[in-house]
Amino acid sequence: MIIVMKLGVDESQVQETIQKIKDLGFNTHLSKGENRTIIGVIGDVSSIDESDVERLRATPYIEEVVRVSKPYKLVSRDFNKEDTVINVDGIEIGGKKIVVMAGPCTVESKDQIINIAREVKNSGATILRGGAFKPRTSPKDFQGLGKEGLEFLAAAKEETGLPIVTEVMDTRDVKLVSEYADILQVGTRNMQNYALLKELGKYDKPVLLKRGMWATLKEFLSAAEYILAGGNNNVMLCERGIRTFSDFTRNTLDLSIVPVLKKESHLPVIVDPSHGTGRRDIVKSMTLAAIACGADGVTIEAHTDPQKAISDADQTISTLDLHELMGEIKYISRMFGREI
Amino acid sequence: MIVIMKAKAEEEDVNQVIDAIKSLGLRTQLNFGAERVVVAVIGDISKIGEENFFRIRAMKGVENTVFVSKPYKLVSKDFKNEQTVIDVDGVKIGGKKIVVFAGPCSVENREQIMEVAEKIKKAGASMIRGGAFKPRTSPKDFQGLGEEGLKLLYEAKEETGLPIVTEIMDARDVGLLSEYADVLQVGTRNMQNYTLLKELGKCDKPILLKRGMWATMAEFLGAAEYIINGGNENVILCERGIRTFSDFSRNTLDLSIIPAIKDESHLPIISDPSHGTGRRSLVLPMSKASVACGADGLLIETHPNPDKAISDADQTISLSAFSKLMEDIKNITKAVGREV
Repeated sequence: MIIVMKLGVDESQVQETIQKIKDLGFNTHLSKGENRTIIGVIGDVSSIDESDVERLRATPYIEEVVRVSKPYKLVSRDFNKEDTVINVDGIEIGGKKIVVMAGPCTVESKDQIINIAREVKNSGATILRGGAFKPRTSPKDFQGLGKEGLEFLAAAKEETGLPIVTEVMDTRDVKLVSEYADILQVGTRNMQNYALLKELGKYDKPVLLKRGMWATLKEFLSAAEYILAGGNNNVMLCERGIRTFSDFTRNTLDLSIVPVLKKESHLPVIVDPSHGTGRRDIVKSMTLAAIACGADGVTIEAHTDPQKAISDADQTISTLDLHELMGEIKYISRMFGREI
Repeated sequence: MIVIMKAKAEEEDVNQVIDAIKSLGLRTQLNFGAERVVVAVIGDISKIGEENFFRIRAMKGVENTVFVSKPYKLVSKDFKNEQTVIDVDGVKIGGKKIVVFAGPCSVENREQIMEVAEKIKKAGASMIRGGAFKPRTSPKDFQGLGEEGLKLLYEAKEETGLPIVTEIMDARDVGLLSEYADVLQVGTRNMQNYTLLKELGKCDKPILLKRGMWATMAEFLGAAEYIINGGNENVILCERGIRTFSDFSRNTLDLSIIPAIKDESHLPIISDPSHGTGRRSLVLPMSKASVACGADGLLIETHPNPDKAISDADQTISLSAFSKLMEDIKNITKAVGREV
């Protein structure tokens, strides 16, 4: 951590600051430039509480306090050099294989999910997605089938053998959803729902953590840190687009984060080109781009009849298109020494 | 254009709006919804203009005015359905071959530009890029070598045969730059410098138009429309990253715009992963991703000694890294049915 003093501070103010740091249990390194004085804090500063940092920052003669070390540790490569490979019912995520999760935005009925699951299975995709608990912008929108939806997902799994990824929104539902799902998804709106993240840390179910649409890289990794800190190491990071002014897409798919996450963290990285673009017509291109820049997998919204999907119809591809897309994914994956 | 009336609008308000539209020589069609009236405007909407658009919006009883038709025509596929291929000294942009423009951010001296030209030529680049007139954030920063820089670029072209792309910032320089350059680049900051765009519409040089870092897709295509409207059809579009809150990269490379533009326009589009990420380590993965989602080419900053580059050092890759990049993108180029 570095403390930058304001211009024209006097010696007593510098000494006062040094004393404050010593009181926190750290040593200091003083560096006096021509104009400014900078105090470096030495030691494991990750243990300094954010409120202490805020207090220093609010001191009238201090210009800025910069935390140099990262606000996360367990998720970083420094901590674990090896790629984390998560095993879901025999499917390895984060290894050589590219994982494709596909399915509807929402579980609508038993027939719907079973039919889609069959098509997903036939296409060669390996995991079935589908929402039973739905975070919808308006409280009047369809909120999902809840427990019944989970039962339908389980029926689709029994029929096809595909493991299930589904969203959990409420700390009180974690146990219930865990009984049915193989991967628990944290949606973008809940990326900083710390109560939920802490609860998920207590389970050993793999978690698919979606990036908050407002979240910086650090905030995203810190959210994952919450789950790991609780004892659950099985976290997949998912880029799903951020909020920008650019309005030809629903969100702006920030693909550059994929190689950065792979370098910065040992966790698997998944891309969601469906939410990331909100446009059916460019899902394919962005899926290929995601794999080209190093993603470990993709999650794609697919439906047997996208026009009739209850939610996210604009970004949902048909299961027919999914078949075709799987062919291209296989081809491009091989080019990068990976496989489906 | 449609005019959406307020739910509480009175008949008199609607009539006033209709009169205003008729006075512009346009016809109207009324739609009575359950809650409100929507007035559709029929005819040559270009007669309306921005001033009348906002004047009508401000009228009593009006909730909003919306342009339904696009603010561009000549650049769109509706106007011309076949892909535009631009021939620069035999280098075809927009065809099967992925065109790579490479070189330093700034032309610094003869030795530098000659070494770059030779090495990139050997690696397989199609054109040399280099700035002689530089738009720098601070007026105190190096502003480029000016005409001297153009002469050095020309020497490099004579030596290697690589056509030149360089930036133009002032409408008065079109004649001078045209003597040396093969492609004139409009930088992100000048995307809506309409004086410049109009002037470029009159010249016969191909234009590389970079997306404004604040520009929506409609604004980007609107800028290209200016050039074509002036009579110059040879416009190459370039995605170079937009301004967002996400701070791990210098800009957010909005790759989704590549397939979206391919869908909307007949113009070639290339990607600039150097500016788009601002980070050397991301240039290779994002080059691959760009090709995977359909870019017609890449613009890459490279320098014999990136750490000593006068400008953009953080995002400039070494000449050996550039050679490796050209090798590494071969697979992906092949996978999408193209060549490099």
